[in-house]
Amino acid sequence: MKNKRTKLEIIRDLLDTLQKNRKVKITHLIYKANLSNNSIKPYLEELLKNKLMEQFFEDEQRFFKITPKGNEFLMEYGKIKVFSESFGL
Amino acid sequence: MEWTLVLGRFYGIDTFIEFLTILVSFFISFYSFRIYRLIKDKHYEWFSLAFLLLGISFIFKIFSNMTFLHRFEIEQSNFVFTFMSHLEYMEIINFFSFIFYKTFHLIGFLLLFLILSKNEEKNKNLLFFYLSLIVVLFSIYFNFVFHITVVFILIYLTLYFYENHKKVENMNSFLVFISFLIILASHLFFIFSDVHGLFYLFGEVLLLIGFLCLLANQIKLKIESKKSVRRK
Repeated sequence: MKNKRTKLEIIRDLLDTLQKNRKVKITHLIYKANLSNNSIKPYLEELLKNKLMEQFFEDEQRFFKITPKGNEFLMEYGKIKVFSESFGL
Repeated sequence: MEWTLVLGRFYGIDTFIEFLTILVSFFISFYSFRIYRLIKDKHYEWFSLAFLLLGISFIFKIFSNMTFLHRFEIEQSNFVFTFMSHLEYMEIINFFSFIFYKTFHLIGFLLLFLILSKNEEKNKNLLFFYLSLIVVLFSIYFNFVFHITVVFILIYLTLYFYENHKKVENMNSFLVFISFLIILASHLFFIFSDVHGLFYLFGEVLLLIGFLCLLANQIKLKIESKKSVRRK
């Protein structure tokens, strides 16, 4: 059985999807990040609060896009993961 | 009349070691804070603070061992008498620096313990800090009490990092486990530092090796991340 993803890994998956696409709908994020409608909410709130992604509206539809800070996170992700793993954080 | 600055014991070897441990502690603290800035996870903020406090504690330790020697000569008939004396106020600085070293050191390791044990109960945390301050006060007269307390915290941390290494199984987690094991051994030597100066020296050398392992872990992290960026 595959191990449960950590919070860091879920954030990486969400930001990865956003980086590969210019703008993303919430349904696409749910599908790509393999999360349920309810379980994705706290992650979206956190990513918006931490300015790792931003939301905007087009034709009354909500879209998300990655921010420079989100890109910085993806660049640093490997190091953050190893750092967290080595100290068990 | 001549003033001489004396840095630490054993010709300043301990001061040199402490200087390196300060750099390593600040380096880890800085990186952990960078992660906190990115993802705003409180664990990284506290972890950064813990290493910052450890780094600051070593600065105080350098001050606690530092002294100014005042050398003067008196000529009388055909004889020259040389006298050496300590600067009086340096003793006060040494005393308070030693207290601050112990306080910051203990709180630094205690913070690590609380972060890694994932203790969220604020009342219990307050109790831990209160007991730590009692230990520091006690250790003014009985130095070994401080080191024994640090040893107990380090036993827990070493076991935690051992379990973590068993789970993660990579070189980085192994380096962290080994470094804390060596730091634990160094404090075991420090317990007997009042019995003989050599125990203090061995403790310092082990402390250096322990922090060098932590530095190796950080360097490895940097090299690996550069490689992964290049691969992209």
